[in-house]
Amino acid sequence: MQSVKFRLNGNPVTLKTDPTRRFLDVLREDLSHTGPKEGCGEGECGACAVLIDGHITNSCILPLGNVDGRDVMTIEGYRETERYRVLEEAYIAEGAVQCGICIPGMIIASESLLHHNPSPTDDEIRIGLSGNLCRCTGYNMIIRAIKRAAERGKGLW
Amino acid sequence: MVSHAIPKTYAEALEILKDGTHRVVAGGTDMMVRNRAWAGLPPAFDKPLLFAFNLPELKYVRVDEKAIYIGSMTDLETLLHHEDTPSLLREVIGEMASPAIRYVSTLAGNIVNASPAADSLLALYALDAQIVLESVEGKRVLPIEKMILGPGKTVLDHDEIIAEIRMPKSSFTHTAFRKVGGRRADAITKVGFIGCAVVDDGIIRDLRLIFNAVAPTLVRVKSVEALHIGHAIEDVLDDIETITHHYAEHINPIDDQRSNRAYRKETALELARHFIKTLQ
Amino acid sequence: MSNIHHSVPKIDASEKISGRMAYVADIRIDGMLHAKTVRSTEAHARIRDIRVPTLPEGYYVIDHRDIPGKNVVKMIFEDWPVFAVDKVHHIGEPIMLVVGPDKRVVQTLVDAIEIDYEPLESVFSMTESVIHYHYDKGDAEAAFKEADRIIAHEYDTGYQEQAYIEPQGFIGTYEDDRIHLIGSIQAPYYVKNAVIETMACAPEDIRVVQATVGGAFGGKEEFPSLIGCQLAVALKKIKKPIKLIYEREEDMDTTTKRHPSKTRIEGAIKDGKITALRTHIGIDSGAFIGLSGVVLSRAIIASTSAYTVDNLDISGDVYKTNTVPNGAFRGFGAPQMIYAVEMFFHHVAKELGVDVHAFRLKHLAKQGDRTSTSGLFRDPILMPEMIERACAMSDYHRKRKAYADPNVYKGIGMSWFLHGCGFTGSGEAEHIKAKVTLEKLASGLVHLRVAAVDMGQGAKTTLMKVAAETLGLPLERIVYDNPDTDLVPDSGPTVASRTAMVVGGLIARAAARLKDEWNDGEHQTITEQYTQPEYMAWNQDTFTGDAYPAYSWGVNVVEVEVDKTTLEVQVKNIWSTYDVGKSLDDNIVIGQADGGTAQGVAYGYLEVMRHHRGKLLQKNMTDYVIPTAVDMAKTETELFDNPFAFGPYGAKGAGELTLVGGAPAVALAIEMAIGERVHSIPATPEYLMEVLKNAKR
Repeated sequence: MQSVKFRLNGNPVTLKTDPTRRFLDVLREDLSHTGPKEGCGEGECGACAVLIDGHITNSCILPLGNVDGRDVMTIEGYRETERYRVLEEAYIAEGAVQCGICIPGMIIASESLLHHNPSPTDDEIRIGLSGNLCRCTGYNMIIRAIKRAAERGKGLW
Repeated sequence: MVSHAIPKTYAEALEILKDGTHRVVAGGTDMMVRNRAWAGLPPAFDKPLLFAFNLPELKYVRVDEKAIYIGSMTDLETLLHHEDTPSLLREVIGEMASPAIRYVSTLAGNIVNASPAADSLLALYALDAQIVLESVEGKRVLPIEKMILGPGKTVLDHDEIIAEIRMPKSSFTHTAFRKVGGRRADAITKVGFIGCAVVDDGIIRDLRLIFNAVAPTLVRVKSVEALHIGHAIEDVLDDIETITHHYAEHINPIDDQRSNRAYRKETALELARHFIKTLQ
Repeated sequence: MSNIHHSVPKIDASEKISGRMAYVADIRIDGMLHAKTVRSTEAHARIRDIRVPTLPEGYYVIDHRDIPGKNVVKMIFEDWPVFAVDKVHHIGEPIMLVVGPDKRVVQTLVDAIEIDYEPLESVFSMTESVIHYHYDKGDAEAAFKEADRIIAHEYDTGYQEQAYIEPQGFIGTYEDDRIHLIGSIQAPYYVKNAVIETMACAPEDIRVVQATVGGAFGGKEEFPSLIGCQLAVALKKIKKPIKLIYEREEDMDTTTKRHPSKTRIEGAIKDGKITALRTHIGIDSGAFIGLSGVVLSRAIIASTSAYTVDNLDISGDVYKTNTVPNGAFRGFGAPQMIYAVEMFFHHVAKELGVDVHAFRLKHLAKQGDRTSTSGLFRDPILMPEMIERACAMSDYHRKRKAYADPNVYKGIGMSWFLHGCGFTGSGEAEHIKAKVTLEKLASGLVHLRVAAVDMGQGAKTTLMKVAAETLGLPLERIVYDNPDTDLVPDSGPTVASRTAMVVGGLIARAAARLKDEWNDGEHQTITEQYTQPEYMAWNQDTFTGDAYPAYSWGVNVVEVEVDKTTLEVQVKNIWSTYDVGKSLDDNIVIGQADGGTAQGVAYGYLEVMRHHRGKLLQKNMTDYVIPTAVDMAKTETELFDNPFAFGPYGAKGAGELTLVGGAPAVALAIEMAIGERVHSIPATPEYLMEVLKNAKR
């Protein structure tokens, strides 16, 4: 048992638990943050994505020990932001959501992308989403949603 | 019982490693998958882990006139955007995995994982990377080919950690990188190739041909490269089919869930031939 | 005409985007136990002995001996056991569950269970037929006798995995002697009816509730009945809440997939036309038949795709092998056959030395033609306009000339296809007898009581729009909760592109009645039951008559570039035109089109799954490759209005149609790019290398 400290959605968290545990399990089971989902368990699908210091990371292959001292934001925290509101509006308007299981991860990927590149091209968006699998949409509506968010949210990123 | 360690400083990490009881984890993207258990249960590791990814002393990129020096816990996404990253390495990283993986992947992790299909290793072999290993006893520096023994096997000792990756400055007149994966992004390589050359006045002055996913380790055969160096490009082109013969015993791929032997072999050689043809 | 096709915000989008929506894995119940399945490691074997370690207090093993009723998962063909008894028939076949509070202990127990097998001879080739179907149209024999020429080709297809991002799972409770299951499912009543058989209990003892589904594509049609039955057995014995969520590898290793197939088509050619086809398709059911017979019937009925051929001799077999059972997947047998038919028409035209496009147009089905099963295409067919539009959108004719150059590794391929809407033949009227109820509360809120599942395809939004539009009420006055068998009648499974057309049609009818009978402040309940259009006549034994009440139609054009050195295929563009009757929401229909086409195209060139002696080689999301955003091309889709008299606002089926044309379109584009024929999909670089090598020889 180690003591691991980090910030979660702005709040300090200290946990005494096995640091080899998958951060996804810690979030979902210990902290009741079920926005990040388990799709593949091997970092392939991105449904479990969270932001660590503002960067997208797959929490299903992230050991808790590596979160020590870091700043974590999950969809639960991100949905309280203005940027989220712009993204949500865009995803809805473009019809980008079908089954929805990948979408919290897609939102995290969208944020991570726009944070580094506030006005991405289509190709840059595709690359930015390349670690987030969606089986329903064929991605095109998601790509349009991100473009829409980038335009409507000018200045936010 | 020895427990997992999350050291705050590099010195502390080396001290913990001293007894050889711990296994270093960098980003963990390979180790967490390989050792995973039923969702909700911690992965099963053979040794307690030492979490090194956040050690500040190992996160740097430095350059001087001779080389680039990369702290071992520098993530690949940082390298992708760093102005001093050799362009060939940057090109390779750009096609590796996905942003979410690159933010927590390291060259050191790729080296110790020693996958025959590792993309970053293509660049490290091509750029004559030197690996700095450190323990409380001191440092040793090894060329990448000496570092890796086989799939998942390296010469890293139980008390050692990779401290740094160095690459001498190099310049080429021609470079090519091709990763062939099952899809266009976020894929494990079926077969990959890097070619670099210096061609001056029609003469090949330097030639490096590296292949991955075609043998237990990456393939770079300096003796074959040497056969071509110093020769006129036309002569090499006339003789291009001999490349199949030269690599016959080195390029020895397998059938697996991602591709097959015939495709890997043919494609690897075709990529090399294609590269050489571009040199004229 | 109503503006119902104008898109509205999807009713559940905000909850999904924000991460608030609970999927089954997100549900926790105090005191719940965890279940893990012990599975066969053998493809075919007798179980000699099972040694279970002493179980700690509070831990259980559940197997076939705990089943109070029938040890069979009730579906169409009842050969699928809930738990293996003394024999296993495929690797991964469930033998028992281990259940307990601590996952660590459960896992240790699973690992400690020893099973002694006596291996039996396994079958991996398509040799043991368990179902054979055959039908005729016209007189194929005579046509073959009179033919100028006979051309035959073979085509085969591989597995396809649904690869929904949310693995299968259930959580269940046992309260007041009732079993309550919450699961990621497409068909609440399939699960309920299966559990009733297994538990030998009364219908009121079982309650099945759909949890929000994270993708299904047919994969959650029949398979969840198996998990539901197993969990019900455990719940009855243990009487505590239990959660059973599949791991990704477990899911890919053991759940149903698209049937691999082999098709042989023989065509009789007379005066430059195909006058008869003699076709045989074999599909690999895996170890249990399950829905395979129904998949086979859809495949053979699709034997002429969007063409009319007057004389047919069509047959097919389901072959049993010692491999993972295959089952429902969007398209349901049609993708295999339509791929083969489209390739065949192209290959015949090439062999005849005629213009492929003109040759195909000559055979295109028209209103008034007889269908493959001698039924009637009653409704207008807009294919000529849809084809012309798709050609214009994609610049098809110019490109196919330009890409004919053997030095250009680019190609463009076009597929034409149809999809029968709803269940085959009289299945809807005789087996399903769908009912829907509208319940108007005194407050004026109208609840849709239907068993239809929103698995992402937008069923909730679509059906609510139909009700709101008919009632003249705002959408906010309509309520559509996830179906709960305690509250909703059996409106059938959410499959076969039937939901918008059939369930939507019933809702429209019920809503119209409710509007007529509306009394403010009164609690009112209106129920409607499906009646088949009177013109439908179907003979299941001879496969003759109207196989479907309506057909949706489509055109896909796919443009590719093939790398000369590595033979990697890059899909550059996709254009489509569709006739789904009437779109009930443009964003939703185009979303279906984008996603269906992505799956269909990837089936044709990208997605590889194979087995070695019954062991799947690609069993996780790393090795089973589905398209990323970088792989998927830009799509341009146009919808054609062609209202169907019996569909709500004219709607027909849309969900499956969009998948079935993808594979032939991409395969034809690849053919053009490499200048050699494709007979097998997925057309991977490895396969293309073989094709080119063989061509050189």
